[in-house]
Amino acid sequence: MKFLRSWKFRLLMFFAVVGPGIITANVDNDANGILTYSQAGAQFGYMLLWTMIPTTIALIVVQEMCARMGAVTGKGLSDLIREEYGLRITFLMMIGILITNFGNVVGEFVGIAGSMELFGVSRYISVPICAVIVWLIAVKGQYKSVEKVFLVASFFYITYIFAGVLSKPAWIEAVKATVKPPEMAAFRHDTYLYMVIGVVGTTIAPWMQFYLQSSVVEKGITRRQYTASRLDVIVGCIFTDVVAWFIIVACAATLYLHGIRDIRDAADAAQALRPLAGDWAYLLFALGLFNASLFAASILPLSTAYTVCEGLGFESGVGRKFSEAPAFYWLYTVLIAAGGVVVLIPGLPYIKIAVFSQVVNGAVLPGVLIFMLLLINKKELMGEYANKTTFNIIAWATTAIMIVLTLLYVYGLIRGGTG
Amino acid sequence: MATVSLSELLGSTVYDASGAASGRVREVALAPQEDRTRVALLIVRTPAGNRMLPLTAVSGINQGVRASTAAAEWTPADGSEGLLLLSRDLLDQQVIDVHGRKVVRVNDVDFYHDVANHHAVLKVGGVDVGARGAIRRLLKGMVPAAVLRALLLRVPPRDIPWDFVDLIETDPARRVKLKISHERLAKLHPADIADIVEDLAPDEREAVFETLDEDVAAGALEELEPKVQKAVVESLDSDRAADIVEEMEPDAAADLLGDLSDERSSEILVQMQPEERQEVTDLLEFKENSAAGRMTTEYIALAVTATAEDAIEAMRTFEGRMENTSTIYLTDSHGTLAGAVPLVKIVLAPSATPLLALAQEPLISCHEDTKEKDFVELFDKYNLLTLPVIDEHNQLAGVITPDDVIAMLRAKL
Repeated sequence: MKFLRSWKFRLLMFFAVVGPGIITANVDNDANGILTYSQAGAQFGYMLLWTMIPTTIALIVVQEMCARMGAVTGKGLSDLIREEYGLRITFLMMIGILITNFGNVVGEFVGIAGSMELFGVSRYISVPICAVIVWLIAVKGQYKSVEKVFLVASFFYITYIFAGVLSKPAWIEAVKATVKPPEMAAFRHDTYLYMVIGVVGTTIAPWMQFYLQSSVVEKGITRRQYTASRLDVIVGCIFTDVVAWFIIVACAATLYLHGIRDIRDAADAAQALRPLAGDWAYLLFALGLFNASLFAASILPLSTAYTVCEGLGFESGVGRKFSEAPAFYWLYTVLIAAGGVVVLIPGLPYIKIAVFSQVVNGAVLPGVLIFMLLLINKKELMGEYANKTTFNIIAWATTAIMIVLTLLYVYGLIRGGTG
Repeated sequence: MATVSLSELLGSTVYDASGAASGRVREVALAPQEDRTRVALLIVRTPAGNRMLPLTAVSGINQGVRASTAAAEWTPADGSEGLLLLSRDLLDQQVIDVHGRKVVRVNDVDFYHDVANHHAVLKVGGVDVGARGAIRRLLKGMVPAAVLRALLLRVPPRDIPWDFVDLIETDPARRVKLKISHERLAKLHPADIADIVEDLAPDEREAVFETLDEDVAAGALEELEPKVQKAVVESLDSDRAADIVEEMEPDAAADLLGDLSDERSSEILVQMQPEERQEVTDLLEFKENSAAGRMTTEYIALAVTATAEDAIEAMRTFEGRMENTSTIYLTDSHGTLAGAVPLVKIVLAPSATPLLALAQEPLISCHEDTKEKDFVELFDKYNLLTLPVIDEHNQLAGVITPDDVIAMLRAKL
């Protein structure tokens, strides 16, 4: 009986804190993620699979740091940056986050437009309607109930695992490519470098760190429940990257193999699901992409508005009225409206924009990581929960690698090399 | 009286008695033990290290700080014992705006600047939580001072007077040294205190609950969201938690303890006064969604023979909440519920009137195991103010008050 009780208690403990990690990880596989991974597989076949294992480790380490900071300090990441580093640095950081996240929001609307077009619905209808829905979900305070629907629907990503298996990939080659990075020569091509930064940037997106830490605080997770929360984070990170791996494999085994190297619209990407669902591929892909886009579109602008307002000391929160938190609501509204409008401009290379926004994520990431690392190593803030050496090494290495990759890419551009 | 802001002071040049530029202002410090508003000293960064410059040795603050002593006389700044360092402890931190009843972040600090007895006097006027302070700090040093000043005049200020600012300090020892108490916060309505506390981080909540009086803390605790309530009680010592829980309404206390782990709730119960402990443990036995789980045991019950005057007298000595006296109950010698008399009728009746003559007809009550939905229906149907709960022997066990009903219904909206 005693055993049963403690076992049950532990399970209860876990479910009391489960959520933030898994939700963040699922939103991570948003429209931008799906499109970036698809493009990576289509353009380079298995050549980017090696990024998955190091990225997963880095993702777990970074997300765990956020969850820990949230549980120990009870404050959001932007609050902490503000309290420890002052207004100017926070302001610059928030401008950076605002621009980066705006790119992500545009990407979500690209996903909405693309998926609905597979159903034959014009983007001039789908985007405005979805923008209004997204806006209302938060303003009417319905987010918590809608979240569950999205979360269940996001298990649709499992279809990518089936698609990957049914696409009959060259398993041995794929596994080899996962554990062994390509020759150094590959890094001299800036298109390849660009994609590496994009894949890392979409997997470890800056917004996720702010979002996860706030969710942990919001959920009221404390030091005591922190071990269970860590499990939540790890499970989420592994799930998201397994899905990412299969997206790349599925696209490599289909699109890359058939010479479709450049994804121009959602219909191209949907081809990857053909081995699984045949002509139903469009439908399946469209539904999945739509769900992922709408889910992320309702989280990203909201999370951005929270992050920025908290950092700069504006009133924030959907619990407040428009007149009580004008900056918060305006920011939120403008992000959605402007994000939607960009997608309605005819003739833009939408998929390229979505991928580019992820490269920006990758380039901005080190800036966020540096502050996270400085904060989490402050003894007066974290006490005994400050970072251990292994975590510091992995997180600093991630920061350094992303800086080097970004500099290399920029250098390549300036030199004028086109690969 | 001129005004100056903290961000203008920080980094400004300090000239010593000889007129030589000797360093820059690094910190502005108050010594709250002596004076809560007057700046005690500046910490100056000099080539030889950080030095303390008491305000009594400052002759003026105008185009830099002018000291009346030689730089060599300034004592080294070691430690900040008993000092409130405005840049470190206040700037960019969260404080409670007691007047506006919310948590705000400090963008800048404003001082009144004056000269008395040949030395400068700086008094904290208030904290700037609006755009003006933010813009001043963002643009300082990037645009000419005159342009910045002209620009700032166009920005409406959002200042909180220093008297309405409550600082939050999580270190208990420092709280004592800096004389940080929550006197002003404690004067707010418990529901407002609860709203403010919900906006704070867990350590800060704990700090507030450690400082407030037990009865204020109890009132605020009752108004907190159950999740936050639980977290606060778990963070406090069981001794302190028991002191606060004792002051809570027994039904609210029972709900709270019922949410905690068995181990924790018994730790708290053990520390409570026997009488309160008994009340709460009795209530803990009941299911939370039954009438008994929702009722309070603080009410006034008088003998059937009592008069209106007796009722008024009983109210004078009643220690529970005022709201709980809106109906006075009558019980016979066996404790059986015999009548319910609304307060208004007692007040309007001549003092010798027997209460039984004033009792409401019909007498509405419910059993301990009545479900929420059913007793709420009784409230609605008979427009009740309170509803008595009786046990299997028809004895009065407790009373359901409207605040519980409203909270319950709101949770379901």
